Amino acid sequence: MRAVKEFFDKLAKNETYVKIFKTPFTYLTGAILLSIFQVVTFGVTGEPWGVSGTFANWGAWLYRLVGGNVDRWYYFSSAGAQAVLDRGFFNDPGTMRNLGIIFGALAATLLASQFKIKKIKSKKQVVAAILGGFIMGYGARLAYGCNIGALYSAIASLSLSGWVFALFLFIGAFFGSKLLSKFFM
Amino acid sequence: MAEFTLDCLGEACPVPLMKTEKKMAELSVGDVLIVSIDHSCAMKNIPEWARKQGYNVEIEEVDDGEWEVVIEKTK
Repeated sequence: MRAVKEFFDKLAKNETYVKIFKTPFTYLTGAILLSIFQVVTFGVTGEPWGVSGTFANWGAWLYRLVGGNVDRWYYFSSAGAQAVLDRGFFNDPGTMRNLGIIFGALAATLLASQFKIKKIKSKKQVVAAILGGFIMGYGARLAYGCNIGALYSAIASLSLSGWVFALFLFIGAFFGSKLLSKFFM
Repeated sequence: MAEFTLDCLGEACPVPLMKTEKKMAELSVGDVLIVSIDHSCAMKNIPEWARKQGYNVEIEEVDDGEWEVVIEKTK
């Protein structure tokens, strides 16, 4: 046990380890890595990077699991959407990517030894989190994408829609921050 | 030369930064503010803002995923 502790104490002070796993990357490094990986995911899966659309599919699969049927829902009515649902959870690139993000984030915070279960400070936080999550998720589906699918991937694909999305994202963020300072300051 | 504390544990961005900005405005020159945070991006944006104001900043890792940002109001 002592040898193990010594090893980890030494590792925590190792310059390269600290640089890669502990200190946050600069925005520039992050941007370059994101750009590379969105090209990779586009090349491998044949579709641009998206996040929130997959969550709607997770919801549909969960609903199917309890005996529900979404075949006649307008959102899932296209042949493409049906094909994705029929291929299933484990054959969906978006699912693998999102699981990768979740477990990757967990791994990153553990490697930096920054994992912490945060306490909930007030009921206000709970209400804001649930309400905010619902509005964001619902809005992302109405817009056919979130800040990844409709903004990042759209702009990377030279689509004008990404810039339109960006403009309204800023307007939304402006009013969002007004609400934030009104209720949380 | 007074010392103040600001508890921002359990609070997500950008609330810690907004609270810090507000609190720093109340302090006199020479005072020190210790902000407790457990949201890693606050560890980036609070010091960044404070340094831009020309204040002295130090970050201490007090526990796993928990930091104290010490800001001295120098002017």
